[in-house]
Amino acid sequence: MIDRLSVLCFAGTYGLALAADLARLILRVPVRWHAAVGLAALGWVVHTAFLANLAWRAGQVPIGTVFHSLLVLAWILSGIGLYLTFRAPKPSAIGVFVLPLVLALLATAVAMPAEARADWTRLGGWETVWGTIHGLLLLLGAVSTCVAFLAGLMYLAQADRLKRKRPQRFGIALPSLEQSERWNRAAITLAFPMLTAGLAIGIALNAGSRREGRAVLDWSDPKVISAAGLWVVFAALLHVRYRPEWRGKRVMLLTVLAFAFMLFTLLGVDLLLPTAHGVARGAGGGQGLEVSP
Amino acid sequence: MKLMALGVDHHSAPQAVREALAFDGPKRGEGLRAMKARFPDIEFVVLSTCNRVELYVAGDPELMPQVGDLTQFLAEFHGIAVDRFATHLVDYHDEEAIEHAFRVTSSIESLVIGEGQIQGQVKEAYEAAKEAGTVGPILHEVFQQAARVGKRVREATGMDRGRLSIASVAVDVARRVFDHFQDKTVLVIGAGKMAELTLRHLDPLKPGRLLVTNRSFDRARDTAASWGGEPLPFDELYQALVQADVVVSTTASAEPIVSYDLYARVLKARRYRLSLILDIAVPRDFDPRINELEMANLYSVDDLQAEADANRKGRLRAVETASAIVSEETAACVEAIRHRHHAGSILRQLGDYSDAVRVRELDRLFASRPNLDESDRKAIAQTLHRFQNQLLHHPRTALRSASTVSDGSGRSLIDAVRHLFGLREGA
Repeated sequence: MIDRLSVLCFAGTYGLALAADLARLILRVPVRWHAAVGLAALGWVVHTAFLANLAWRAGQVPIGTVFHSLLVLAWILSGIGLYLTFRAPKPSAIGVFVLPLVLALLATAVAMPAEARADWTRLGGWETVWGTIHGLLLLLGAVSTCVAFLAGLMYLAQADRLKRKRPQRFGIALPSLEQSERWNRAAITLAFPMLTAGLAIGIALNAGSRREGRAVLDWSDPKVISAAGLWVVFAALLHVRYRPEWRGKRVMLLTVLAFAFMLFTLLGVDLLLPTAHGVARGAGGGQGLEVSP
Repeated sequence: MKLMALGVDHHSAPQAVREALAFDGPKRGEGLRAMKARFPDIEFVVLSTCNRVELYVAGDPELMPQVGDLTQFLAEFHGIAVDRFATHLVDYHDEEAIEHAFRVTSSIESLVIGEGQIQGQVKEAYEAAKEAGTVGPILHEVFQQAARVGKRVREATGMDRGRLSIASVAVDVARRVFDHFQDKTVLVIGAGKMAELTLRHLDPLKPGRLLVTNRSFDRARDTAASWGGEPLPFDELYQALVQADVVVSTTASAEPIVSYDLYARVLKARRYRLSLILDIAVPRDFDPRINELEMANLYSVDDLQAEADANRKGRLRAVETASAIVSEETAACVEAIRHRHHAGSILRQLGDYSDAVRVRELDRLFASRPNLDESDRKAIAQTLHRFQNQLLHHPRTALRSASTVSDGSGRSLIDAVRHLFGLREGA
């Protein structure tokens, strides 16, 4: 409970940073940029301290529960957002795109059941190690997918402005089409191998468990089917990403679709469909990586 | 204290008059020195740009030169007749002069509202006057504040944002499509004036390669030579389009030279890499439907002009906000100058008053003790002088500090000292 209240502290700071960023529509003072970046940085520092404390108390990377995984995902995204804000020209509205997603992830984290945890945290030995790698790779794949999604949104917005000849004088300044396309391409290229490796390790772990008679997931489990579908979507996305005739809006729209599919696979299936995957069974999971006092 | 701004600008005088009165290059230093010699104990700053020549003058009311004196000086210095320029002169006094300096620095009075060059020119004028030793406390205050006000206006209104010419808007558009140009190829179709102008604006982006094509190969070669580009025969247009990331088209052709189908083929051959076409020819060189093609961004002269017009309107809208800021800052600056003047006056009065009391008491003491020898008198006088200085040290320091703060606390302290020592206001 205290962990969830702490999340509100840095989520609130991110919220204020977003408000300061959106104030660009009415305020034209340089202090606005400093306030937005300062608040986002403060939120990120508190977020970092929170996760470091969590890791120190648990003695491992805090990705054992969906709650923790989403916090780490939001933390990495927020860090990337800050980095890009510093690198991009000052008027660029990176925060306007990144912070809503960070806040949505934090809100989802707080709404998730506290006991929802991954199976591998309870197995012990090498399975826990591989399970951690499986979780980490999927998490990093999710980060890349989020970055690709955000870059795709920026591209679509900028492309629409250029096609409709809308000046950006009093609007939200966006990175160039070339820049957004580069970020999108790099993020998809990184996401695919990480998701592939993460899913492969998950399959191997499940196969191992089944051989030892400790069946965790049936091959027809919605989580397995959805994960396979996710892989196919990303393989298709990577393929068209490098097909010249698919460049531009179509790839960006497909990225948005892939992001939605990823959310469904990582969170939606566990919450909406009858799966034997750790999260859905979490309420009855008993012991594990719960570190809240 | 009096302050005056006197001069001509693009509103009040034709270019020939402005040129005749200009203080270009070494003339500014010479002018400042000449003014200092003619009007000693007066502060001067000379602002001389393409669109304005202005003298800012400040000093004691009894010593201040009048408009006629300065007009005469200008005529003699530049060797021109007074009647050639006197009717074009505009003068501002005291608060108006400060407001004018702030409006000029904020670029509200510029020919191109919001242009950024004027701030540097005002700063240069101030630095030159400082170097010539013609700036005193009043113009220091005015010009230091002017630099701050100019910055504040720019930041608060964004008056300097948004380009105003077609060629410069084209550069803005290019930056929305590409973030670097070192690996990009720019193709210029046509070799006229507009092509040259656009190239001048695109040149700072440092494109990796420049191709120039024109129906007359000789003209293409000349333009390419001026900008370090490669000339191409006009019949190689298709190949050039395939290579070009940015196309600037400015031909005088009566019909479009690039059709929708042709550019669709070009895009395919380019492997659908992003492209920007700046069609600034009238009539158009590119079929407008090309803008519907994915990865092609087509801007016509009307699109660029519309954005330039929107930027111009935006700057004009910002003038109201900028003027309000300038008025507010002018009032604050006038108050600060008055306050500093009062503080200086109180300090002088305090010194005079305490000196008078000391001398009076010494005279009274020496008159009542005629047997005191010279060394005793000297020792007593020195002791009393030291006593006076030590007693007034903190009040003086506090007053000097208060003179730099024009808010309520500074004024209260000055009033308190005046009441405590029975000093008169504004003496």
